[in-house]
Amino acid sequence: MKNLFYTALFGSLLIFSSCKDEEIPATMAINIELEHVLAGQTLELNGKSFTLPSGEDFTPKKFKYYISNVELKNSATGETYVEPESYHLISEDGNKSIDLGMVPSSDYDQLVFSIGVDEVANGKTDQTGDLDPNSDMAWNWNTGYKFLVLEGEFTNSKTSERQGLVMHIGTNANYKTITQNLSGVRAGKSTTLILSSNLDELFLDPNTLQLSELESTTIMFGEMAGKVAENYSDGFITVK
Amino acid sequence: MRIQIPAWLGLVCVCGLISCGNEMESPVSGPTQISLNSPDYFPNNVAMPADNPLTEQGVQLGRMLFYEKKLSADGSISCASCHQQQKAFSDGKQFSFGVNEAKGDMNAMSLSNLHWQNRFFWNGRAKTLEEQAVQPIEDEREMNLPIEEAVKRLEADTKYPALFKNAFGTEDINAELIGKALAQFERTLISANSKFDAWIRNEVELSPEEKLGMELFFTHPDPKLQLRGGNCSDCHLGFLTAGDPNGFTGFHNNGLDAEEHLASGLQSVTGNPFDKGKFKAPGLRNIALTAPYMHDGRFQTLEEVLDHYNDHIQNSPTLDVLILEASNELPDGSDAVKLHLSKDERKAIISFLHTLTDQEFITNPKFSDPFN
Ligand code: HEC
Ligand code: HEC
Repeated sequence: MKNLFYTALFGSLLIFSSCKDEEIPATMAINIELEHVLAGQTLELNGKSFTLPSGEDFTPKKFKYYISNVELKNSATGETYVEPESYHLISEDGNKSIDLGMVPSSDYDQLVFSIGVDEVANGKTDQTGDLDPNSDMAWNWNTGYKFLVLEGEFTNSKTSERQGLVMHIGTNANYKTITQNLSGVRAGKSTTLILSSNLDELFLDPNTLQLSELESTTIMFGEMAGKVAENYSDGFITVK
Repeated sequence: MRIQIPAWLGLVCVCGLISCGNEMESPVSGPTQISLNSPDYFPNNVAMPADNPLTEQGVQLGRMLFYEKKLSADGSISCASCHQQQKAFSDGKQFSFGVNEAKGDMNAMSLSNLHWQNRFFWNGRAKTLEEQAVQPIEDEREMNLPIEEAVKRLEADTKYPALFKNAFGTEDINAELIGKALAQFERTLISANSKFDAWIRNEVELSPEEKLGMELFFTHPDPKLQLRGGNCSDCHLGFLTAGDPNGFTGFHNNGLDAEEHLASGLQSVTGNPFDKGKFKAPGLRNIALTAPYMHDGRFQTLEEVLDHYNDHIQNSPTLDVLILEASNELPDGSDAVKLHLSKDERKAIISFLHTLTDQEFITNPKFSDPFN
């Protein structure tokens, strides 16, 4: 019985290797890595100062955000891979990769994902893993999660005072879905996709932020938060 | 926009009761593995260290060592002298006294829910509980006993060799095993039955004042939107009300001193000037029992603590941005860092802090002196 099994196994291996030009493995590993860039430089949180698009200096201290509901699409065939339970907390001083594991093989040419946490998950706090409400990403638990956190300090150009910037963006309206084209992903070939998060884009396009001009530099709810979300909905995270 | 409050209340109630400790039968004879009795709303992704699994025998031994006065040079004090159960394992003094009335310069920390923390001591110098646990024995201002001497005393004792054998399979006592046993006992010091916990489990209501205090505690203020908050949970996070366990992220400068008087704090561990004046944000469970407050025990009461956060923040280059930027009023042009909470709001936060007191924790016979 056992021998028969081995024969069958060996046989199938032979068949497999004999037509290796044709045969594509059923699955492929996809891994996503994120790089954080500000003013063309790699982000650091250890006291280094950067220049914002407005020309103001800025020393970042914390940078974290959720990427959720990751999908891979093949626009030619319509094949789509949807990652289950897809919530990833990305942070400059913590995790900066998303391991999708083995996904069905296809020539995927689009990556779809969202910044933030979808309405369903955002309405619950009895969750674990990256959505554990004990982390600093859960708000005062009436309001769901912070989708994106950027904290740091800058020198107010009017008063020359050191001032803090607290950007805590959340709430369902600021959940933004992003589609990026992929090139070079081939069915059966394990691939690492590199995404770049460009922090300059939080301060520009379409809404320009001049920190020293802001009424308050706590940006959490309301109009200003919406403007930052508009900024991150396009051009903030791009495939390299 | 008005923030809706009640939605979450219902949701949090799905968090069930404290899970039962399931004792696993070991296949071979040896110590009996146990798991922590923690509620399911505590983080559940923190594994036991692979080289120090929690066992019934290890915890029992750790408890004895915690109360063992032989571990001090003159046999006068034990860990429990400075970490007293009825004070949630703190000692009520500004600075603790070690052997020979030696006085330290740090306030004894309350011990609870340590399994969910990663760095120990006010300045974070100990990486693990195992590593931390042997340091007070040798510290000259604490128990002042060379560890080899501690080992000798335990080996010469009638009870300990057998207890070490039960817990770790060997009668060869050493510093590492002492640390492991103490760490196991300390991990079982879970405080999760306060009024706040009962509220989380939907068993009780909070008074309107406590509830207001809780909301303020967990809200970063935004004066543009008239969203009022005390921003405490920016650093004292989540259900544990403790600092962020990620690396040194839970260390902050909370504005106790101006630049010229700033203690080195975390800088003495990392060497980075950026970390000057940063200390561990401790968990606030049982905080009403653990006065005086802060690393140097400078505040006698919670009123003084709230006055500090509201009115007396000292600015310095490493002052945390979450404090620098937190105010309930729009900037008035002065450079003073003020929270602008009203007197009643401060009182409400203190009421909420009192809901973190856990009577069961401070009377639990499992944590008490085994020699009594
Ligand atoms: C003389 C008083 C004293 C004795 C005895 C003492 N401690 Fe402490 N303990 C302190 C003080 C003071 C601190 C804070 C010290 C610092 O940060 O430098 C502390 C801190 C700790 C912490 C860190 C808690 C945290 O949240 O980071 C732990 C754990 C601890 N002690 C356990 C023990 C154990 C175990 C023993 C016995 C082996 C012990 N202590 C003996 C006074 C004492
Ligand atoms: C920026 C972070 C931060 C914020 C915001 C913050 N704390 Fe703290 N808290 C700390 C740190 C760090 C310590 C320890 C400081 C020290 O001893 O040097 C501390 C200590 C305390 C202590 C003393 C604990 C003890 O065991 O001695 C209490 C009580 C306290 N905070 C309450 C509050 C309350 C109430 C608020 C909101 C009004 C608040 N904290 C806001 C970081 C913060």
